[in-house]
Amino acid sequence: MFRRYLAGFVVMAGLIGLTQLPKVVQSVDAQGQETAPGPAPTTAWGDPDLEGIWTRDSEEPLQRPSNFRDKEFFTDEERADLDRRRAEIIARDASRERRETNGRGTAEQDVGGAYNAEIYTSHLRLGRRTSMIVDPENGRLPDLAPRAKEEMAALIEFSLALKQSTEVCENALPSCRGGEFIATPSPRRNEMPPYYITARNGLPGGGGGVISRSDGPEDRGHGERCMSSTIPDFRGFRRIVQSKNQIAIFYDTGQGQGWHRTVPITDAPHLPANVRQWWGDSRAHWEGETLVVDVTNFSPKSNFNGAHENLHLIERWTRLDADTLEYTVRVEDPTTWVAPWTATHTMKKQEDQANRIYYEPRCHEGNYGMAALLVGARTDEATFARGEGEDPAKKCLGACGGFASGFADEGDDANPLR
Amino acid sequence: MVNRIKSGRKALVLATVMAVSVAGCTGAPQDGLAAVRTADGKPDFSGIWQANNEAHWDLQAHAARPGIVTQEGVYPYEYAEVPAAPVLALGAAGGVPGSIGVVDGDGEIPYKPETAVIKQANFDNWVDRDPELKCYLPGVPRAMYMPYPFSITQGAKQIQMAFTFSNAARVIHMDPETTGPPDFTYMGFSIARWEDDSLIVDTNMFNGRNWFDRAGNYHSEQLQLTEKLTLETPNLIRYEVTIDDPEVFTRPWTISMPLYRRMEPNAQLLDYRCIEFAEEFMYGGLRREQLVKRWESETMIIDVTRKVPPGERLHEWYGR
Repeated sequence: MFRRYLAGFVVMAGLIGLTQLPKVVQSVDAQGQETAPGPAPTTAWGDPDLEGIWTRDSEEPLQRPSNFRDKEFFTDEERADLDRRRAEIIARDASRERRETNGRGTAEQDVGGAYNAEIYTSHLRLGRRTSMIVDPENGRLPDLAPRAKEEMAALIEFSLALKQSTEVCENALPSCRGGEFIATPSPRRNEMPPYYITARNGLPGGGGGVISRSDGPEDRGHGERCMSSTIPDFRGFRRIVQSKNQIAIFYDTGQGQGWHRTVPITDAPHLPANVRQWWGDSRAHWEGETLVVDVTNFSPKSNFNGAHENLHLIERWTRLDADTLEYTVRVEDPTTWVAPWTATHTMKKQEDQANRIYYEPRCHEGNYGMAALLVGARTDEATFARGEGEDPAKKCLGACGGFASGFADEGDDANPLR
Repeated sequence: MVNRIKSGRKALVLATVMAVSVAGCTGAPQDGLAAVRTADGKPDFSGIWQANNEAHWDLQAHAARPGIVTQEGVYPYEYAEVPAAPVLALGAAGGVPGSIGVVDGDGEIPYKPETAVIKQANFDNWVDRDPELKCYLPGVPRAMYMPYPFSITQGAKQIQMAFTFSNAARVIHMDPETTGPPDFTYMGFSIARWEDDSLIVDTNMFNGRNWFDRAGNYHSEQLQLTEKLTLETPNLIRYEVTIDDPEVFTRPWTISMPLYRRMEPNAQLLDYRCIEFAEEFMYGGLRREQLVKRWESETMIIDVTRKVPPGERLHEWYGR
C-alpha cells in the first residue's frame, strides 16, 4: 500500500520509468551471435510496419556542442572521453559539503541538489552524431525571430525580478545570471507574467519551477502542472500500434506526463484555424516507405522550445530495418526562428512481450507537489504576516538551480555537451 | 434518490434486455461485415466510437432530476428538490436526463449491505468525491461510455484505445504471454482473445480509485472485468461487460450497451486536456488571491459548498 502511495508522487513516477532499463531486441542467430537485423517488415495490408515499442539506445544532443563546431560526427575517442566526463559528473559525490561549495549554497539549492544526478540522468552512451539537428549544417538552432526574442527577454527580466531579493541572487549563483541582488523585493511580484508561463526554455536556473512565485498553479509552469509533454519529443519510449487508416502512438515521457496521440492517415484538410490543440492536429500520408505527418493548429499555450501556435511540423517516420525506426522532423515557425530547421534520430525496437513501458501517465493523479507548493507559500506568507519567520520574498521558489546537468552551484556550465 | 426512481424501472429494463438478446442472438455473419475485417479475417474495430446513452450519469435506470446535486425546495418531498449551488447557475442545462439503464437482469447492482452504504454516501457527496471532477484517469469500463468519442486502433499484437477525456488510453494485449504492469493502475491491464467474432477482454490490476458513473457506483482493486466486444454491423459494437468484485458485490453482474461509430467523414479525437480545467476546482482555495468570490449587486452570488470528505487523500495530506 505504501509503495503505491509513493508511486503517486511526481518524482517517484520518474524513478520508476528510469529503473526499467531498456532491453533492446537483439538479432541473434542459432549460436547466439549477433546478426544484422532483418529487413523492415510490412503490415498484412502492405504498408510499412511501424509497430512496436521504440526508444533511443544512445544520446545525441539536439544542438551541436560549441567546441565541435564543424564536426557532424564524434570520433570514437571523443565519445569515450565525453562519456567519461559525463559519468564523472553524474556520479559525483552528493555530500552536503560538496553542495555548499564556497559557502554559496542555499537551502533551496540544498534540496535541489540533495540527490546526485545519477537517479535523474539516463545512462545512455553518446551517439555518433554531434547534433540531432542536421539542417542548418552547423547543427545549431537558427536565430530566434524578433517575437521570440522579445518574449524570452521579457520572461527573463520578469523571472530575474522575482528572484532579485532571494539568496540565489545574494550569493550570485548561476540561476541569477543576468540579474543582480536587490534587497528590496521587486514590485513585479504582484504583476501578471508578461507571457503565459509554460516552461523554462531559455530562462536561467535549473531545478523545479519556472518563476520564483507560487501564487497559483499557473505560476508553476507546465512541468509541475503535469502538462509538459509536447511534440516533437526526442526522449522516452513510444508504443506504436497501427491500423490501415490510423496510427496510435503512446509517448511515455516526462515523469508520468506521457500522452496518447492518434494520427489519421487521410488527405482531409486540417481542423479549422480556430480549433487549437496542445499537441496540434496531425494528418498523415505514406510517401514510399515513409509515413509523413503534417502537424498544425497548435495552441498558444503549447510550447516547444519557445514556439507556440505558429508551430508547423513535418514528421517523417521510416522503419529502416527490423530493429530501427528513424524519426526526422522539419520544424517551421517564422515567428520563433528565422529559418526552418530539421532534426533526426533513430530509435531501437524494444522487446514486445515484457511490456516495459510505464504506460499510465498519472502525474496529475499523484500531484501532491502542487498542493504542497501552494500550501507552503501560503503558510510562509501567513507566518511572516504574524511578524515571524523570514520574508517570503527572500525565498527562491522556482528556477533556483538544482540537479540539472550537474550541481546547483555550476548549473549548465558543468555540461560538457553544452 | 436511488429508492425514489425504482417504480416502473423493472419493466423497462426487462424490455431492454429482451431487445438486446434478440439482436445479439442472430449469430451468423452479419451483412456488410466483410468490409470491416482485418487481413486475417477478424472483425476490425478500428475507428472513432462513442456511447450514446446516459450510463455516464448512472448505470441504473433513473428518472430525470433537476441537477446532479439537489437540495430541498419549497416542499419537503424528495421529488420536489431543486438544483443545489454547484449547478444552480446552469439552469436547465444542469439537469440530469432520465435513463432506462444499462444493468442487465433486474437492473440491480448487487452491493453488500456495507458497500451499499458507501455507494449512497458517494452519491450524496458527488462533488467532493467523484474522481471525474478532478480529471483523473477515468478507469474501465467508465471510459468506454463517457460522453466523448474514443478511438480504437487495431494492430497486429495490440489494440490501442485512446479516450478524449483526460487523454486517457488503454492497451489491449493480444499476446497472452505479455507481462503485467509493475503496479496497480487506473486503466487496468487487459489481455484479449477471440471467441468466434467477439473480442473477449480480461481486465484487472485496478487500483480501486475509479467509479463507474456519476451516481457513486464504485469498485475496489479486486475488480475483474470480462468485456465482450462484438461488431454487430460495420458501425455498431455490442459492448457487454461482466463485473466481478467480491469485495464490493455479492455476485458478478453485467452491463450492456451499443457503441456507435462516429459517422462524420472527418471524425477525429480532439483535445480534452482537463487537468487545467480542474485546477481551480482542486487548488483554487490555495491561491494567494482567490478567483471565486461572492458576487455583488445584480450579479448572482453563489456559495459553493465543497466539503472535503474524510479519507480524501490529497486534502488530508496537505491539511496536516
